[in-house]
Amino acid sequence: MKKLLKLLSPFAPDQSGAVGVLYELGGLVVICDAGGCAGNICGFDEPRWFFKKSAVFSAGLRDMDAILGRDDMLIAKTAKAVGQTDVKFTAVVGTPVPAVIATDYKALKRMAENKTGLPGICVDCTGTRLYDDGEERAYLELLRTFAKEKYETVTGKVGIIGCTPLATGYMSNELFKGTYGNNAVCFGMGSGTEEIARASDCERNIVISTGAIKAAEYLKQQFGIEYETDFPVTPAMEKVLENDLSGKKILVVHQQFAANKMRKLLKEKYDCDVDVGTFFKLFDEYKQQGDKFIADEQELVETVTCGGYDVVIIDNICDRALKDCGCRLIDLPHFAVSGRLDENGGQVCLA
Amino acid sequence: MNKAFYITAAELAQLGFENIPEELLSAKHLIYSSPATLAFNSPGAQGFGVKRAGLAIPGSVMLLVSPGCCGRNTTMQSRLCGYQDRFFYLLLDDTDIVTGRHLTKIPQAVKEVYDFCQEKPSAVMICITCVDALLGTDMERVSRKCEELAGVPVVPCYMYALTREKKLPPMAAVRKAVYSLLKPQKRHPDAMNILGFFAPLNDDSEIYELLTKAGIRHIREISRCESFEEYEKMSQANFNLVLNSEARYAAQQMEETLGLPYIEMMRMYHIDKIHNQYMSLANAIGVTFDDTQHYARTKKAIDDFKAQYGELIFAIGEFLNADSFELAWALLSYGFSVSEIYGTVGQRNFVFVKAIAKLSPDTKIFSNLSPTMLDYEPSGKRIDVCIGNDAGYYHADVPTVDWNEERQPFGYAGLRLLFEKLDRALKGAEK
Repeated sequence: MKKLLKLLSPFAPDQSGAVGVLYELGGLVVICDAGGCAGNICGFDEPRWFFKKSAVFSAGLRDMDAILGRDDMLIAKTAKAVGQTDVKFTAVVGTPVPAVIATDYKALKRMAENKTGLPGICVDCTGTRLYDDGEERAYLELLRTFAKEKYETVTGKVGIIGCTPLATGYMSNELFKGTYGNNAVCFGMGSGTEEIARASDCERNIVISTGAIKAAEYLKQQFGIEYETDFPVTPAMEKVLENDLSGKKILVVHQQFAANKMRKLLKEKYDCDVDVGTFFKLFDEYKQQGDKFIADEQELVETVTCGGYDVVIIDNICDRALKDCGCRLIDLPHFAVSGRLDENGGQVCLA
Repeated sequence: MNKAFYITAAELAQLGFENIPEELLSAKHLIYSSPATLAFNSPGAQGFGVKRAGLAIPGSVMLLVSPGCCGRNTTMQSRLCGYQDRFFYLLLDDTDIVTGRHLTKIPQAVKEVYDFCQEKPSAVMICITCVDALLGTDMERVSRKCEELAGVPVVPCYMYALTREKKLPPMAAVRKAVYSLLKPQKRHPDAMNILGFFAPLNDDSEIYELLTKAGIRHIREISRCESFEEYEKMSQANFNLVLNSEARYAAQQMEETLGLPYIEMMRMYHIDKIHNQYMSLANAIGVTFDDTQHYARTKKAIDDFKAQYGELIFAIGEFLNADSFELAWALLSYGFSVSEIYGTVGQRNFVFVKAIAKLSPDTKIFSNLSPTMLDYEPSGKRIDVCIGNDAGYYHADVPTVDWNEERQPFGYAGLRLLFEKLDRALKGAEK
């Protein structure tokens, strides 16, 4: 049956992706839920929660709040918390509860801005979509709210969009700065709303998560900044390359840009045939023939079984589903799938 | 610099239960799910949340029917020994939610899960979440359809975080669910059940000895049932002993459907209250308990500890196998000090706030869930030891006893174990 998971667990949802984008920006983030979603996000999908404080709260909705649509109470609670914390903006992140009751986010945004005097954003998440969808919505809302002015281009400055633990397995920006240079600014990782506001001064952007493509397109449309996709070489990828994969037919399963990078590295080192598969967004512009969107557990098994692959490079939490497929499985962690960081991803800059 | 909100015990007692400050009432402010609170303030985050608790029926499996986000943390839980093969998910998309079409898929999903399991489950628990709470789903009806198709008992389990402060909150509802498959049987006068927890009491708890000496031969706890057949014998009990108020509704249901009366006790750490409760229990079931030796041994353990460490100053959290305020009152009554309590004040424990106010009016009471706790900083005043890993989170350099093991401490033995653990923590054997 479609959407029935017998061997895998659900992947990181859109609301986790949205919070991952907003986490370090100095806002007051209200997860519009009863408490469980916030607990899942903070306790599982946001590894920085245990190292870097951030004003992420649950709305603490109760049944009558939802039934009666008590948005005024939510805004009152938000305004009170704004008075108790040092924050620069407010953000409301949706979950299944506001999705079911069709919360008017535009109204919420206006109400929050009027009540707090701070910029407000709302990210329309539903809990039924995946993390890169939430990232996409959060980046766009941020840019529309803060990146309004065109600044003079700074030569050599590179914007990195998509640096979130869910997409990369990294909690801090050292790997990205190491890869793309000290002039690189990782939006939402080691930077704040000031950097978002000055996004227009980047010479070019590099998109490393599928959730960040629309943000890059927005910056291109608004300010003419060109972008490309890429992903840094991680220790986990280097470990994969230690296997002799010459002559093999390989499926790499990850988010599209990480998987594309893995494919590039494999093909540079070995004479092999590599397809990319992903549970997340698959953009036609960046895919090659044979690349596949994998909707669920059943499709994963079918893809691997019917594809004639010798090797599948995938987060090892999926091994349970593939153990009878007769191909070799090599681990490539993806935090949004298993909640596992890259082996160096746990290093975090506390400054 | 913003400061974490607190109120002293004297101030709170003076205000009274009706005037508790909003900062201590989670319904009145945004909820801060700090690392200190995640273990207890998130359905299923750690320990026995609804999902894990719902699997208390031996041999059962769970089908979580929800948007993907609700099942996300279960990835971690599944890795816990024995759970990986017991959780299944039917993910809802937007169309399912709008049309309710998922309800027609559930019976087939249950059948597929049943057929998939090599070892056939004794029951399938269907866990539903806030979405179905708002849709008003009649899961009892859907469960009956599932039973017809799959030929296995199917029990709905409600993980409705939206109803946390209602009469039947999720953790009370799941306790009802896990006893709902019991069928009436002939009651045995020498059998009883202990209700309240999803893990057994510590084996050395004197409650077993006292009840056994009183002629009770079969003391059953759901977590000690290794098979569905053993679980079914729970309805042979003569009475239920409820040790956690969240099991009261389950006991009421069992009284209604199985004719089992119940007696309620509270886990306490005040030695005289432990004694009084045992005497009341003995009186209620018409026997006598001699707890003299247990009392004396425990009193000596407390006295010895105090002689060794003097008037220690405690900070007490709420992720505990204890009520934070009762525990604080007990420690104060033994002559220790309690500087700070991080807990949730309610009608049930306000009596202890008043008692604390008399013994230690300056004790500070914080709410873990208040947004102001984002800015909590230790005051710099001496704290010697913490109980609860949430308290330990705020005082990372202070020796801490987590006191949240799955095996449940109870009675005199539980109190002695606490002091043993405190002794070990202060000697550096624990954090």
